[in-house]
Amino acid sequence: MSPPCRVRVTGGFALLAAWFALANGWEPLATVLGAAAVHEAGHWLVLRCQGAAVTGLRLSVLGAAMETDGGRLSYGGELAAVLAGPGANLLAALALTAVGKGRWPAAAGANLVLCAFNLLPIRPLDGGRALYLLASWAAGPEAGEAAGRWAGSVTALALAALIGAVIWRTGGSLWLLPALAAGVYWGARPWLPGAYA
Amino acid sequence: MTSRQAGRRIAAGTRRRSARAGARRSEPLAAKDLRLMLRLVACGGIFVALVAAKLLLPAKMAGFNEKLSAAMERNMDVQAVFSAVGRAFSGEEGVAEVYQAVFHPQEEAVQTGAVSSEDLPINMTARTAKLRDGAALDTLRSFRAEEALPAALEPEMTAQSASNLAYVLYSQENLPEGVSMEQDRLGFDYCAPVAGSAVSSDFGYREHPTEGEERFHYGVDLAADTGTEVRCFADGTVTAVGDSSSYGRYCVVAHEGGYSSLYAHCSRVTASSGASVKRGEKIAEVGETGMATGPHLHFELQREGVYLNPIYYVSSL
Repeated sequence: MSPPCRVRVTGGFALLAAWFALANGWEPLATVLGAAAVHEAGHWLVLRCQGAAVTGLRLSVLGAAMETDGGRLSYGGELAAVLAGPGANLLAALALTAVGKGRWPAAAGANLVLCAFNLLPIRPLDGGRALYLLASWAAGPEAGEAAGRWAGSVTALALAALIGAVIWRTGGSLWLLPALAAGVYWGARPWLPGAYA
Repeated sequence: MTSRQAGRRIAAGTRRRSARAGARRSEPLAAKDLRLMLRLVACGGIFVALVAAKLLLPAKMAGFNEKLSAAMERNMDVQAVFSAVGRAFSGEEGVAEVYQAVFHPQEEAVQTGAVSSEDLPINMTARTAKLRDGAALDTLRSFRAEEALPAALEPEMTAQSASNLAYVLYSQENLPEGVSMEQDRLGFDYCAPVAGSAVSSDFGYREHPTEGEERFHYGVDLAADTGTEVRCFADGTVTAVGDSSSYGRYCVVAHEGGYSSLYAHCSRVTASSGASVKRGEKIAEVGETGMATGPHLHFELQREGVYLNPIYYVSSL
């Protein structure tokens, strides 16, 4: 029997969701949450297929994080589980486009944005984890650590700069500020003591 | 139990508690407690700094507050951005439309409308003040209504007269960028998008119905019941079908000669993006989606990105 899945929602997540809804309305919030649910369902499905149990889901200001007892997974298995989230978003976008015939472009777009964002090679995101696993698989954990550290740091800082530019150019969209802060934090985190220990 | 025994027990308990408290004092803070302490100090510091700034620099804080409030209210249309990404993915639009949705949303013009220094109240002349009054277009309508011309000459003469009067009412210097008050000869057949509707809001400066500010209205509002058929203005191709927080459900049709028409606040868009449509063909239904205070069609007409006054083409004047 698999252990119960514990869902934790932090105050930061609730605040960010409320801010996003106030700034953009309920419809975009529902669209984003729908795409996020598809994303997590993709992870969950592949993990379950490999016999790994999902022990928790944490929704924080930095996004959703699934906790598993996936220590037994191979590099290939974990890679599949990590890429299943963005893959599910891509499949959802394809299905919405094909079936909807242009009726649900926002839902398809949200899934694509979430897919692309999560594939960025930044460590807490799926892309960063996938890069680490690939490099570790090919050249050992030290190579994975180095690749993850450098690619993650540079990409995170570039992402923060891009978000800053969007805020500057649009003269608003301040609900993106937590994402900017997260980009700076993710960029600096690999160089902080005890990072990913 | 005797009172002496009870006294010994109390004394022993007090000694044990004192010993535990002493031990706690000597233990270093756990990492979790330290994090909580740092958060508390950071939050307290921000609170004290803001209160101090408000008390010591009230004028600067008021200015900052105003800027912050304005920035909080300005948001990119996330739903429109997602829609642009989705349409780019399906091949209906290009990546340029995604860039435009993020940085230059079409509805930005409706919401904020560029205002020149001459439009500031302090610089307004009596003439420009009159231009901002919706009555200016009433004058235009009255003028045109009074022009009883022979039937054979009517279209050409009326167009010329209206164009002349538009110059009198709105000189280019009083208009936002990308707006023309000239009446174009379209060169193709067209029809009113909503039959028998009344114009509930004109093209030009007006008090925004929901924001309350004076802004330029880049189209005309045609009042009609929800579900009323919206007909295509002229032959063309549907280039965009979308949903945004301000326009609600909308569609854009490209016509020949670089013209395009936009139909917003629809309850339903029945045309598909990329479809060829004929003049008078049903493409949507009137609604009040998006930023609207009642059921109506917001109709815009553009020539290569320049907003034209649709009143010349949709009104039966």
